[in-house]
Amino acid sequence: MIVSAAICPSPPLLARELTGQAAPLPELRDACAAALAALLTAAPDIVVVTGPAGLTADFGQHGRLDLAAYAPALYTNSDEPALPLSLGIGARLLDEAGYAGPRSFRGIGVSAPAEACLRLGRQIAASAPSCPNQRIALLAVGDGSARRSVTAPGYLDERAAPFDESVARAVRDGEPAALAALDPELAAELMADGRAAWQVLAGALTAEGATPGGLRGDVLYEQAPLGVAYLVAVLTPR
Amino acid sequence: MSTDVAAGIEAPTRTTGPLRLGPREFAPGRPLVMAIVNRTPDSLEIRRVVPFIERVRAAYPGLVISVDTWRRESARAMCAAGANLINDTWSAWDSGLAEAAAESGAGLVCSHVGTLTPRTRPHRPAYEDVLADVRARVLRLARRALDAGVDPDSIVIDPTRDFGKNTRQSLEQTRRIGELTATGWPVLLSASHRDFVGETLDAPIDGRLAGTLAVTSVGAWLGARIFRAHDVRATRQALDMVASIKGDRPPARAVRALA
Repeated sequence: MIVSAAICPSPPLLARELTGQAAPLPELRDACAAALAALLTAAPDIVVVTGPAGLTADFGQHGRLDLAAYAPALYTNSDEPALPLSLGIGARLLDEAGYAGPRSFRGIGVSAPAEACLRLGRQIAASAPSCPNQRIALLAVGDGSARRSVTAPGYLDERAAPFDESVARAVRDGEPAALAALDPELAAELMADGRAAWQVLAGALTAEGATPGGLRGDVLYEQAPLGVAYLVAVLTPR
Repeated sequence: MSTDVAAGIEAPTRTTGPLRLGPREFAPGRPLVMAIVNRTPDSLEIRRVVPFIERVRAAYPGLVISVDTWRRESARAMCAAGANLINDTWSAWDSGLAEAAAESGAGLVCSHVGTLTPRTRPHRPAYEDVLADVRARVLRLARRALDAGVDPDSIVIDPTRDFGKNTRQSLEQTRRIGELTATGWPVLLSASHRDFVGETLDAPIDGRLAGTLAVTSVGAWLGARIFRAHDVRATRQALDMVASIKGDRPPARAVRALA
């Protein structure tokens, strides 16, 4: 049973260690913290983190952000395995929110077809047969288009802003079906890797009996200050 | 030579710990830039410098004030006025400077000038091994400072470029400054605008910033901890950059390619 869901972006700069003495984009940090707080208010039994990875894979219940991939000098020996960026950021956000309960990290292939994403979402929502009434919080970590300005990583693509707006609108309207309908090919052209994660989320929220009373969507942050679209949102089953 | 080795062994290994110069302490792991009040060129130095030190001390209670002098009476009077560090640039010409530092609770810079006498210029200085000579001299003086009762945390060594050295000799000891930082004593690097920079680059006094910063960076990389600077802002930037390359200091603000 999905009791709460949230969307956060995955820029490495959310990791405080990477940005030096400054903490850039404080509004984005605050929005992520608020989204995590809302996610955890539902008192979940487990938090499932999903996000784009090289391949669709279950990364298990333990893992951490791989800081050394971005700053070699920050390498530390750790028993926790390094996760793909999106899942690692999810782990970090849970740490910062003070969440100490069970976690599950489910990577989705960045170019996985929509149906594969939706299927994974339905699997997550169905939980394990051994604990049918498990309260699941789902955190989808991924980014909008990286082609939002001429200084963006992928330069400006005029289709990028409308694409990101359509995602935010779907969330705000509590319409996960609109996320399910996103075009993977267009998303790939726009460097919007979050697409796969959003469609996993859509699969979970549209699963049979998952949210019988519908959803309330709250968008907490929706900007592209560095040329990459960041969406922070909370989806609450009514 | 054996006493010098002993002094080296006894030197506290404080390559990262706090430096205390007189009663003032500095954060570990960060080189510090200090303001230096130069001596005046004659016996009027007490009358000229003491009121100045008193005013600086009153205006900046936390600042380290270093004074260059080679006379014990001047050192005593300046420390009484608020100086924290006696920069004995003339390498214990007056053997009472260590006692003056000890009595005043001030720090002492132990330096090397070869065979120079105060206020003279080097004339054909020759060494079998300039760095060995420097190392032996500054360790002997550090040992003496300890024996005189100077706080071990307030003893600094300075190989002293240009003083008693030609340009090749100053370059050699810059290249090998790691052999001095390896002794454990904090090393003062006073290269700013020096003649050896000028001769190396064929640059006049006002054209020596780039050369000074190169020497500063090499010295910081090899572990020097105190830097005498004319161009304070540029020196600070160079030192911050070296500290970040070393991994001792995070960047001020890093977002490039992390969006």
